[in-house]
Amino acid sequence: MRHRARPSRRGRDSAIEKRLIRVAQGSAKSARRRLYLVLIMKHYLVTKKLLCVCRSKMALTQVSSNKCAGGFQKVFEHDSTELKCKMKFAVYLPPKAETDKCPVMYWLSGLTCTEQNFITKAGSQLAAAEHGIIVVAPDTSPRGCNIEGEDESWDFGAGAGFYVDATQDPWKSNYRMYSYITEELPKLIIANFPTNPDRMSICGHSMGGHGALICALKNPGKYKAVSAFAPICNPIQCPWGQKAFSGYLGPDKSTWEPYDATVLAASYSGPQLDILIDQGRDDQFLSAGQLLPDNLISTCSEKKIPVVFRLQPGYDHSYFFIYSFMNDHIKHHAKYLNA
Amino acid sequence: MELSDLGGARLGLISEEAEQQDFSPDSASQMFHPAAERGGRTFQRFSVGTDDSLRFEACEDSSPSPTGAEDGHDDDDDVFKTGGTQELVSIRNQLQGKVAEMENFAGHLEEIFLTVEENFGRQEQNLEQHYNEVLQTLSQRYDDGASALQEEKKKKLESLYAQLLLCGQALDRSKDLIETAQEVHRNQDRRLFLKTVAAVIKRIEAFAKEEVDLTLSTSLEFKTPLADLSDVKTMMDSINVVPAPSAPVINPQTPNSASQTSLRVCWSLFSDDTVEFYELYYRPVLEEPPADSSSAPPASRVQVKETHCTVTELLPNAQYELWVTATNTTGISPASEKALYMTVPSPPVVRQRDSSSCPEAALIRWESGNANPVDSYTVELREAGSDGAAESMVAVPACQCLVQLQAGRRYLVSVRAVNIGGPSDRSDVITVSTTGTFFHLLEDTAHPCLSISEDGFSVFYGDEELPISAMALDDTTFTRCVAVLGDLIPVRGRHYWEVEVDEDTEFRVGVAYEDTERNSYLGTNRTSWCMRHIRTPSRHKYEFLHDGWSPDLRITVHPVRVGVALDYERGTLSFFNADLEQNLHTFHCRFQAYVLPCFSLDNPGALTVHNGSGAPEHVFA
Repeated sequence: MRHRARPSRRGRDSAIEKRLIRVAQGSAKSARRRLYLVLIMKHYLVTKKLLCVCRSKMALTQVSSNKCAGGFQKVFEHDSTELKCKMKFAVYLPPKAETDKCPVMYWLSGLTCTEQNFITKAGSQLAAAEHGIIVVAPDTSPRGCNIEGEDESWDFGAGAGFYVDATQDPWKSNYRMYSYITEELPKLIIANFPTNPDRMSICGHSMGGHGALICALKNPGKYKAVSAFAPICNPIQCPWGQKAFSGYLGPDKSTWEPYDATVLAASYSGPQLDILIDQGRDDQFLSAGQLLPDNLISTCSEKKIPVVFRLQPGYDHSYFFIYSFMNDHIKHHAKYLNA
Repeated sequence: MELSDLGGARLGLISEEAEQQDFSPDSASQMFHPAAERGGRTFQRFSVGTDDSLRFEACEDSSPSPTGAEDGHDDDDDVFKTGGTQELVSIRNQLQGKVAEMENFAGHLEEIFLTVEENFGRQEQNLEQHYNEVLQTLSQRYDDGASALQEEKKKKLESLYAQLLLCGQALDRSKDLIETAQEVHRNQDRRLFLKTVAAVIKRIEAFAKEEVDLTLSTSLEFKTPLADLSDVKTMMDSINVVPAPSAPVINPQTPNSASQTSLRVCWSLFSDDTVEFYELYYRPVLEEPPADSSSAPPASRVQVKETHCTVTELLPNAQYELWVTATNTTGISPASEKALYMTVPSPPVVRQRDSSSCPEAALIRWESGNANPVDSYTVELREAGSDGAAESMVAVPACQCLVQLQAGRRYLVSVRAVNIGGPSDRSDVITVSTTGTFFHLLEDTAHPCLSISEDGFSVFYGDEELPISAMALDDTTFTRCVAVLGDLIPVRGRHYWEVEVDEDTEFRVGVAYEDTERNSYLGTNRTSWCMRHIRTPSRHKYEFLHDGWSPDLRITVHPVRVGVALDYERGTLSFFNADLEQNLHTFHCRFQAYVLPCFSLDNPGALTVHNGSGAPEHVFA
């Protein structure tokens, strides 16, 4: 073969194309053979185009990386198709990820949080490293969408996505956190990190607890384990939920029910769940009636959905409370992810 | 063939043997040829003891016929090789065998020779001894007799001398008298003469009247006393007569010679006495000597001809006193020293119910099976289904033993009791499985209202009130909490068991220290940890109690099969819904001592313990 300088990619592709065309037209004797070759060429071109598209959309930019507990705590940014904005998310890669594929635990944060709160305050990295679990912690809502009113309250709009797919204007275009969490983000993670695609679990705090519960209940079998810290168990019945749902979903309460864990539990059918819930007894929001765990518990008792609910005396709603029991939760997840 | 004559009759046999061999005259003349000259055929040189005068020549592997010498060998090679080689070989083997026999025989003879020498020596000694004794006795008698005669002579002489003295004195006195009389007679003075003559006359008269004893005081003859030679006679007789045997020597008990009901006794004679039969006496040794010594148990007697005897129909694990006498025509020997023998104990009683196990070890317990104490026990175990050797643990002092085992296997275990008589028979065999943790319930600890099923794994709390009399005043039973403890093996490892309950059973299950307070409820003190189920009309309530405190928990699906996992190393006690593999709660506690599983029923109901299967994977992950 004659040596020549390696052409650019485009040049290379076109060279291949030319060859295919030549082959298709030229030496092939039979017409059928020519037809096959033409089809192959077409298929090749289409796939190439698709890959280009995908690659650009699945491009991640690393924002930060810190070595932690033997692994790496990283933050990435990407262009989200569901949310139509740039989104950041945190990923913890345990030491095991350097050599093996690991299961993934998704953490959903609560009201006012970003991807930073969890990775700096919850103390999850040691346990995640020990059990070899990749922990993904996305943001709580789309950012920088310039929607009017999104920064008005801390419990609605920015930082309060409530993990629903909004149907009302002006939110319905960007505020699609449910789809982001259940569809787009897992695909992104699977494509870019050494993961076991069928081993994922979900966990969260407060609003994120609500998100974790509904994602698990609405997708039977998708998540191998689920747990929550002080979740909003029955948003339809609590002020937070009513405010958010009426804003995102409109006044028709029947549209709210598919996003209410207590309601979903009543009609759940699917693989057996094992839900661990920790709740601080001195949580101000518990006493304020925002969380309503009793409703969920009685529904689960009736429907025989296994739940262990622990009321922890002296603990409040803060990350200090999360930190205190994070090990137990990761162990709970590991039991099912590593089984 | 040259055979030196050492003493005709003894070697007559050999000569006969030798004559049977058909040795060629040629080989007879070749005595000292080394093997090399024979072309490599092996020689067998043989001589008896140190006396080189007896020699054998190796039998040549030539044919039995005398003509089979080397001379005609080469020519006849072909002929021999065809049919003769085999014959040659067989004949050679025969001859070699014969030589070996003769070697043995000669060796035996050597021994006999030595024995005869010994016997002769002994007999000579005996004879010398006997006659020496007789001679000594005789000379002693002679000395006695001679000295007696001497004594007599002395006595007689003395008495005669005394008599002589007396006579001499008498003579002197009479002479004196005569002189006095003569003197008086010669006296001229008449008046003086008349005065004294009367006295003198009187004296002479008196003297004349005196009888003179002229008889000898002693006889002149000696009496020879009859020498008492009867004992010498018996001694002379005894030389010719076989002596009565001396006391036999009874051997101490040899190990492993006794059984539960029999003893094998051996004894030996000190000397070469002839004995017709032996009599063995034996009687049991009582623990406390009886109040009056005369009522010692009678000794049984066995007559045997051999120097050993097996005594039967004895009690196990008992000590016996034995002694033996030897009897022959002359009489009975004195009794031997009394020896103490001990029969072997009865086998211990091992029950499946008294043992517990876990993957690393097993605790075997048994009952002695003997009224009196034994020295120690031996535990034997063997893996079931394998041909591997059995392992034994010896010198186990108490009625229990903790053995290290390998996980996931089945073992067959038996126990023997051991005393100085030896080991007993094997006890019944029990099976121990090292899959999972296995234990029975300690029935001694059960509250009186709690009844335990026959298989020992289910407990029931009935509705009926038991009468007060049934309430045992025992230290070990629970008195308020209707509870029972389990016999968990004391090994610091991981243990897992399951408890099966009904929907409505109010129970407490967990662990407690062995000395937990029997008069308090499980979980209300620092010595017990338990999961408690309370049934209200509307729902189930759960508590995880220790020291009276419980975390606040809600559980939505009521567990009917509770898994309990104990990990000493990590210091955790975990509870699971075994059907769902759901972890309910974990206690974190550093156990200061071994704990036992505890089970109690707070209202009438039942629960069943399941153990002996390994822990599911998720339990100790």
